[in-house]
Formats: sequence, C-alpha cells, structure tokens
Amino acid sequence: MTSMFDSVREDGVAPNSAESIVGKSPRELAWARMSRDKVSLFALGVIITYLLVAALAPVICAVLGISPYALDGNALNDYGLPKGAFGGISTEHWLGVEPGTGRDIFARLIYGARASLLVGILATILTTAIGLVIGVVAGYKRGWVDSIIGRFMDVTLAFPSFLLIIALTRPFTQRLESLGVPEGNPARMTYIILVLATFGWVYVARVVRGQTLSLREREFVEAAKASGATSRHIVFKQLLPNLWAPVIVIVSLSLPGYVATESTLSFLGLGLMQPAASWGVMLGDSVRYYRADPTYLFIPGIALVVLVMAFNIVGDAVRDALDPKADRQNLL
Amino acid sequence: MKQRRIIAAVGFALVASVVAAACGGSSGSESEGGTPTKGGTIHILSNGEQIAHLDPQRNYTGDDLAFAGSTMHRTLTSYAYAGGDAGSEIVPDLATDLGTHNEDGTVWSFTLRDGGTFEDGSEITCADVAYGVSRTWASDVITDGPTYASSYIDAGDYPGPYKATAEQQAVYDKAVSCDGKTITFNLKVPVADFNYTTTLLAFSPVPKAADTGEKYDMKPVSSGPYKIESYTIGKSLVLVRNENWSKDSDPIRSANPDSFVYEFGLDEAVMDERMIKDAGDDQFAVSFGIQPENLQTVFEDDAFKDRRVDYYDPFVTYTNLNVKNLSCVEIRKAIYLALDRDALRKAGGGPYTGDFADGYIKPALALDYKKSTLPDGLNADGTANVEAAQAAMTAAEAACPEVAARAKAGLSFYRPATPTWDKAVAIWIDSLGKVGIKLKDEPVEPSVYWPTVMNPETNYDIARGGWAPDWANASTVIPELFSTNGGFNLTRNADDPDYAEFQTKVDAAKKELDRTKQGVMWQELNQFVVDRLWALPGTFTKAQSIWGSKVGNAYQWAPFGAFNYGDLYVKS
Amino acid sequence: MFLFIVRRIFFAMVLLLAVSFFTYMLFAMLPSDPAALTCGKNCKPDVIAANRIRLGYDKSLLEQYWLFLKGIFAGRDYGTGAAAFSCGAPSLGYSFGQHECVTTLIAQTFPVTAYLSIGAFMLWMLIGISTGAIAALNKGKWQDRAASIFTSIGVSLPTFYIGLLVLFSVVIWLRILPFPSYESPFDDFPVFLRTMILPWLVLAVLSAASYTRLTRNGMLEAMNEDFVRLGVAKGLTRRIILRRYVMRQALVPIVTIAGLDFAGLLGGAIITESVFSLPGMGKMSIRAVVESDLPVLVGTTMVAAVFIVIANVLVDIAYGYLDPRVRVK
Repeated sequence: MTSMFDSVREDGVAPNSAESIVGKSPRELAWARMSRDKVSLFALGVIITYLLVAALAPVICAVLGISPYALDGNALNDYGLPKGAFGGISTEHWLGVEPGTGRDIFARLIYGARASLLVGILATILTTAIGLVIGVVAGYKRGWVDSIIGRFMDVTLAFPSFLLIIALTRPFTQRLESLGVPEGNPARMTYIILVLATFGWVYVARVVRGQTLSLREREFVEAAKASGATSRHIVFKQLLPNLWAPVIVIVSLSLPGYVATESTLSFLGLGLMQPAASWGVMLGDSVRYYRADPTYLFIPGIALVVLVMAFNIVGDAVRDALDPKADRQNLL
Repeated sequence: MKQRRIIAAVGFALVASVVAAACGGSSGSESEGGTPTKGGTIHILSNGEQIAHLDPQRNYTGDDLAFAGSTMHRTLTSYAYAGGDAGSEIVPDLATDLGTHNEDGTVWSFTLRDGGTFEDGSEITCADVAYGVSRTWASDVITDGPTYASSYIDAGDYPGPYKATAEQQAVYDKAVSCDGKTITFNLKVPVADFNYTTTLLAFSPVPKAADTGEKYDMKPVSSGPYKIESYTIGKSLVLVRNENWSKDSDPIRSANPDSFVYEFGLDEAVMDERMIKDAGDDQFAVSFGIQPENLQTVFEDDAFKDRRVDYYDPFVTYTNLNVKNLSCVEIRKAIYLALDRDALRKAGGGPYTGDFADGYIKPALALDYKKSTLPDGLNADGTANVEAAQAAMTAAEAACPEVAARAKAGLSFYRPATPTWDKAVAIWIDSLGKVGIKLKDEPVEPSVYWPTVMNPETNYDIARGGWAPDWANASTVIPELFSTNGGFNLTRNADDPDYAEFQTKVDAAKKELDRTKQGVMWQELNQFVVDRLWALPGTFTKAQSIWGSKVGNAYQWAPFGAFNYGDLYVKS
Repeated sequence: MFLFIVRRIFFAMVLLLAVSFFTYMLFAMLPSDPAALTCGKNCKPDVIAANRIRLGYDKSLLEQYWLFLKGIFAGRDYGTGAAAFSCGAPSLGYSFGQHECVTTLIAQTFPVTAYLSIGAFMLWMLIGISTGAIAALNKGKWQDRAASIFTSIGVSLPTFYIGLLVLFSVVIWLRILPFPSYESPFDDFPVFLRTMILPWLVLAVLSAASYTRLTRNGMLEAMNEDFVRLGVAKGLTRRIILRRYVMRQALVPIVTIAGLDFAGLLGGAIITESVFSLPGMGKMSIRAVVESDLPVLVGTTMVAAVFIVIANVLVDIAYGYLDPRVRVK
C-alpha cells in the first residue's frame, strides 16, 4: 500500500517541469493541473451540487411543497402500487411515489442524501483523524510506541468487522441511548459512525505510518531537525503537508464505502429507521419492487453511483495533481 | 432475515366451519381435475432457515403442522384430507374411531388400529402414544409446543419423562393409562371436543428408546408414509418414502409423490420470481404466501388463474395495548380512532390483506361469531377520524393526565422487522402524530419477535399480534388472548378494574357444555373486550398462494390455512 | 529465519487468545439472556433457571470463558440424565437454535464459503489487475475513464443491490441460468457450477474494483520511477520494462492486501451468501445475529479470526523472505 505514495516530495517540483521556473507553490501547481481537466471539474461540481442539495433539502421541499413523510394514498392503486407509468412520475411527484405509502420519492431522495452523506462524511472525518494521528505517532516515534500500536492494529484487524458491526448494533445502540444520545435514529447514526471509525482507522493508520516512516528519513526532515525544530513543528509543518495525497485517495474511496455500508445495514434492518429516509433505506426497499416498479429500483441506485463516480474522479485527479512527477512525459 | 410467515408463527389454526364459504368464497382455482398419479418429487420453497420444530410435541405452527402431520406424524385423530368444508371434519387416524368419552367428558378413550408401524418397522403401541404425550410436560426441553395436554390431563406435579421419579411417573401412567390397544385420558376438566385436541401433533407417538430429547427435533422417528433422508438447517429437508408404512393401516394419507424437498433460506423476492417463472423443478413447487408487491402481477394476469388462490386464512390480526401503561380507555380509543387503517391495508396489499375486523373472533367460527359494535366515530371505510380521536384525546387528558402525557412523550411500538411493517410503522407514526401521540419504533427480528414480547420484562406500550383458533371453539381464542393464564395474552390487563368480571365470565363459558349457549357467551365476551379496547381489532386476514403448473391437489387445508402437503401430487 | 517464524507463530497464538477473550466478553455483554432464548414462547422462569445451569451460564463470565477454552481442547458435556448430550473436541459450544454442536455446524457450512471465496478470489485478481493495468497504460483515455466508472460502481453499490439486480437480470430477463440452488461439487458438479457462477462473478467484480484502482495507481507510480526511466534510456523494450519492473513493483503490495482480503472472505461472505441462498458460514452467522444465537456467533467469529491471523503470519513470513531487513527488526 505504501509504495504508491512513496514519491511525494517536499519540493513538489520536478526538475524538468516547465512551471518550476515560475516558482509556483505546490498547491497552486496542483490546482493548475486540476483545472486543465474539465471532467474532474465537472465531477467536483457534481459533488458540490449534492452537498448543497442535501444541506438545503428542507428549503427545497418547502419551496416545492413536497415532504418526505406525507402519505399520499390517492397516488396508489388497490394493490398499493403507484398509479400511472414509471412509478407514478407526474408534475406533482417528479420522481414518482413510494409503493405502499405514496410518499414523494424526490423528497425522500434529497432527505436521504442528507442522512447518507452525513454518516459518510462524519465517519470519514473521524476515521481519517484517528488514523492520521495514530499513524503519524507510530511512524514518527517508532520503538515501543510503534510496536504497541502495531499489535493493537493487529488485534483490530483480526476481527471479522462486518459481522461484529451487525451483531453489536442493537446492544450498542441501546447503550448509547442510555448514555443520553436521543433514541432512534440519532443513536443509530452515532453507532454507525463510531463503529465504522473503530474498524476503519487501522487502514488509514497503516498507510500514514508507512508514509511517515519513509518521510522522516528524508533530507528536509533531517534539515529541520538539524536546525533545532521541535517535534511539533516537524509533525505539523513538515510531515502532515506531505500526507495529503494518500489521505485524499483514501477519503475518496472510503466515503462512498461508508455510504454503502450504511445502506447494507439499512437493508438488514439495522440502519436508519422509518419514517426517516436514507439512500440505504430506499435501496433496501426498492429491491423488492424489481418487477412491480422498476423505476423506483433505479432512482436511488443511480443517485449513489453518480456521486461515487464523482468522488472517484476527483480523488484520482487530486492524486495525480499532487504527484510531483505527474507532468513528466509518460515514456511508456 | 425477513419473514412474511410471522403471522403463521403464532399458534395455529383449526376452524370448523368452512373458512372460505363463510367468508364469501375464494377467487382462485384449487387445481382440480385429473386423477392423482404416483411418483415424482414435490418441492417446497421457504424463506425460513428450517422448520420451526419437527419434534411433534414442539410443533405448533399452522404451516408446519400441516406439513409434518400429513407426511410424517400420525395422530389419534386428524382433519380430513380435503379442500373446502370437508377439510374441517375430523376423522380417525391412528385410532379406529373418533374416541369415546364418559357422560361429562372427563374420561376419553381411543383404540389403536392394527398394523401401524414406525419407520423401523416396529409396531406403534399405546405406550408409544402415552410416552409421546408425556413429553409435553418436560417444558424445559420440549419448548414451544401447545400446552393443552398438561392443562387438561390430571397428572399432578408430573415434570415430564426425563426428570420424573417413579411415583410421579406412576401418577402420569394412571392419568394416561394403557389397556392393550386402548389409551385412556383422565381429564381435570370436562372437554366436550377433546378429539379435536388430539389432532395436534403433540398427541403423536414417540418410541421411548429413540427419544434424544433436545436433539429429537432434527431427526424424529416417522410414523407416516415419509421419513427424513437428510435435514440441513439453512439448506434443505428431504423426505423419502417410509417403506414400513402401509396404506392398509392408514386410510387417510394418499402418499402420491416419491419424495419431498423442502428448500430453506430463499429470499422472498427470489421465491416469488421462481414461482412466477415456473421453470424446471419449480413446476413441481409450492410456496407459502406472495409478497404484496407481486400480487398485481399474479392476480391481474390470467396466465396464473389455475395456480393461484386468494382465501381467508384462519387468522385475525390485532394490536395489543399494554393496559397497565395505557390504563384508561379514552387513550386507547384515541389511538384506534386516529389510526388510518385504510392506508395500512393499502401498504399490505389492499383488499388482499383482508377485511377490517370487528373483534377477535373470525366469522368462520359461526357459533361464536357475532358482529360486534365498534366504538362511536370509527370510520367504517378504515380512514382516520381525526376529530373524534382529538375529542377522545381531550377526554383522556381530563380523565388520566399522566397516561396522556406518556402518550405525548412517546409510546414504544413493538413490531416484527419486516419490509411490510417498515412501511406500516410510518403510517402509524403519521396517523397518531395528528392527535399528538408519539411513537417509538421498536423493530424486532421476526424470529425472536414472540419470545421478546412474551417476556414480562419487555415494557412495550403497543405490540402487534395475530392469532388463529386451535380448533373450532372460541375457547381457544378469548381466554388465550385475554386471560392472565392464557397462552398468548399480550395486553397485561390483570389490573384493569373490569378484569375480575371478565375472568368470571370466561370461567363460566369454559364450563358450559351446551355448545350454542357457550357460543353466545363467547360473543358477549368478544364485545366485552371490544368495549374496553384491550386490543385493537385489525384484520380478518386473507392469504394468497401460488403453486407450480405441475402440482395437483394444491388446495388450502382450512384448519391450518396452508397446503395439505401430504395430499399434493405431481401431474403427469 | 527459523527464530523469526517461531516468534511470529507464538505471537499469532497470543493474538488469537486475545481475540477469543475479547469476542467472548463482547458477546457476553449483549443484553439478551442466552438461557431465555432456549425456551421459546411460553417460557416459565424456573425453566430459564434450569437451562441456565445446564448451559453453564450461571457461572461467572471468566469461568464461562475458561470452560469455552477447555471445550476447544477437551470437548464439552451438557446436562444430565436422558436429555444429556455432548460436543466432542474441538468444541465451540452448542447451538440451541440449530440443535447442533457449533463445530459440526461450521464443518457443514465452511466448504460452501471456501468454494465461494476461492473462485471469487481468482476471478477478482484476474479482473482487478488486468483492468487496472489497462487503465494505467491508457491514463486519461477512455479506457481509464471506463475503469473509473467500473471502480465507482464496484465500491459504491452495495452487494445486496447488485447481487439481486444481477440475479434477476440474468435469471429472469435473459434466462441464461436457472435460479441458484446449491449442491456440493462432489454430488452434482454441473449444478454446483451453475449455482456458483453468479456469486463468484458478483463478489469478484465488486472486490476487483478497489484492486483496479490499486493496480492503476501502483503502476503509474512505478512507471515514473527513475529505474524505469533508466530502462527506457537503456533501450529495453516496453514489454520487458513492464513485466520486469513495473508490474513487479506494483504487485507486491497488492498481493499482501489480497492475502488478507481472502482470509477475511473465508470467515463468511455474509451478504453474497444470503442473496444467492448459499448455505455457508456467512449466512449462518447472520442468522445467528438475528436469533441472538451466541454460541454460533462466538464460533464463527473465532474461525474468521483464525483465518485472518494465519494470513497475517504467512504474509509476514513471505515478507521476511523477500526483505531480510524485516527479520532483524
């Protein structure tokens, strides 16, 4: 895993790069590279749109006069299935209605984005923060600190995490509730975020540790040490800035992974609960309507794939942009 | 993980008068025509991971009783192997007749037929039947079964055959005595229809030498035409012919197919698709129930008209209110009036869910059923009556402010974690929210739902339930659901001021030997409970089934609300 | 080297002990009373009490854990009299839900999981590495974008969703395959193949996604290394450089991760097994979760942990061979 990031350098400027003469900062350089890539910019736009829509979901629903919770029996036929073609798509219900209840799918989709993104983002932040700190400490301190952390990571990795996540949902949610987390979805969301972080940090920490191990031997760290810099200065000013690239790649992979895990838990009845909406709740519900209402089946799936694709493209682009050798001509 | 069969998981069903006829007919065909042929394999598709219990003394689920009873376990008496009305008649099985009893119905005797054998070829003796019944008392090992034997039969403090001392065993042997081929049951109470009780598999024989206790569930000894070839939980159960069974000793079982393959652990959506597609071996398959989302596909298309059925099963669903927590009737009324039962019905599959119930006794129990008077203001079309509910809520705030406050703070709502219930909960929350009542959703995995709510420590406010009579007498309904010693009372009504009066009336009804008079007493008790709303009547349920195009005799066996598996045959 | 291996194995044993302890304690903390679960609907308190003693749940947690450990080496007996039974060594306990010793249950279900894992693993390495290589060699072109879309779908869409979609599409729309119905390869090989092909593919494609990405990035990294540039300068052919230098460097970390992923899979592919109705360990453990069947949960968790730990040791030893510096550390 570590080898893929080994080439990140403090100087950020490859000797044969044309821009190096102008003397731009690495960040400016990266942005310059990224903005050349129209697809990545578009993907970035998609992510921002998703975030905005999720954040403004209540406002959008209020403006459109729709609600993710309001039942609409009139939109359903005698079998409880949406009236009309394509899952009941109409001017009233843009993406149709949910079978069984007649709730508006568009409203549920954007409210669902809120819940799913919140889980994904918070879990990613927590995972990354823990992994980063522990990884840097282990890599920088080495010695007994490193080996204790290493053994701890071994134990964590030895557990079949998905099985444990499922098995511990009920008891731990109850424990959280007894600790004062509001009952129901807040407690479930807290649990999902915490448990994802509990098992997820190790992967970040492993990468960061390896990266730190190699960085601390580099000349610029040696130079900082020689000039009397404190550990704090070295960690924050010298090491962390060089860990961005691998961390961004991990984030772009793990965020969608967490959204997917949340949906799997919802499918198993362990994620968010009705009447709340999340993409997981919608995916899990829609699979049953493969035959009866295929439109409903595809809507949450497409929403999810588009977002993840955007994350992947941006993640790759950022990685490539931060790569100091990216502007070298590919000789092969 | 999700089970539609949650309804069937409770108690089970025996309804005397014809379910279908009494409720207005079923809209499917019963795949008649053609003479049954021997041979072939019948497949049964199941969402469950196993048969809840194959041990006859522990089997208490309608579908499983129909399956195991018609293939493997013989009983003293049995329901007739026929669709419609006729299926609710009882006929002798292991016994030569329907039993004889003394004048007051406290002593019942049955004489065994000649020639009945177990799968190892040994003869079924009176001692084997007595031993089988005795296992019911060992309630630490033989769990989940019906308890009628131990509550009717006068065996003192008998702890079951595993732990009994010589004296205790002697007491039992006197209560259930053998004289040659005749077995005699001495009862504590008069039971006029004890020969219906003996149709339960709890009354089938078990050879003492083969009893492995807890493990008997996996490989019970067969007394019927089929025996277990292999049984792997989560995969399959394969039954093959029992060569030692002879048709001469068993006039009721037809035993047409050569084998049965029960496939476990299938996703419900996959099961439905397989049945709809009807390809390969699935042409010889039956499956229990259709998912609501596929009803339109199956019932709007004539291609399925010869292999589908929509019928009234023996169940009534209702919602238990914890009377201890919701101790005033006004609040219970507010909940009932506010509930949008029409939306719930739609979410469950519309008219295919069934009809709005007016009580806890289904019309099929003709002697015991009378349409009851529902609370004022309840809309007949099932929609919510928000004003009336609001008025009831206001009344509740005056009558019992703490209870009203509890309702506003949030009532815990226990229900099985199934996709259909996930939607239904949203409707409950939305409906009750309109009169300011909050709900805390507590989904429980279907397989552990009943043990969870039956546990006295589970402090639910609302818990859904469903029940079917064990035979055609509301004595297996009203006392079971609402007496404190009933097997399935989830209303926690012991402290209700009217409870003592209720119990006195129940005791009187149980003792009444005139069946017509008794029926009137059950009707009154049904109304008594409706007036107090210890439980909110839900639906007189319907069920739908589909079977493969090459399956014959796929009728619904009225007492169980399931296929008569043993009577199925493979069409040539 | 020998000392190194001994040390790793010793450490693995300690690790397993720690995992078994944590697992046992963690599940013991669950609020459900395992004894109450043995006695069904119409349960009386005295029955629960009797079963608690029969199963040993009346003892202290530490003592229970000790009995569990002892059972692994010496087997275990339950109850007395006519209803007594025992589970021979190595005993992982007795499941009341399934009326069977946990070891027997695992022995029944493990082969299914193993067949699924092995087939899927081979497929996913093939798919992941080849698509990753194609993407890297065509960086920025349509092949790269296509690989990116493939990766996105793979990492984002949950297995249950893709699994059911594929199952319905292939079996119902296209009618290429019949519905899966598991048979052991020794009983009926054609049926076995027909059943496994979809789960293999689904699991492989979903897992391959992250390998595509790893391979792509690893290769791009390697192609920019100075030794590759040196190779080009020396006039080596593209094929030789790719094979000798680029792939070799890119693959080492991938093989490591693959080992661990494969081991993780052997503990049960919960969702894939459920969707395709495969009676494997993953399906059994999800059922155990649902029914709070603690002995089965502890058992499957332990078996899964054993595989992960073994894989770790093997990876470490392999590293020891490849990189002598690791040994001295």
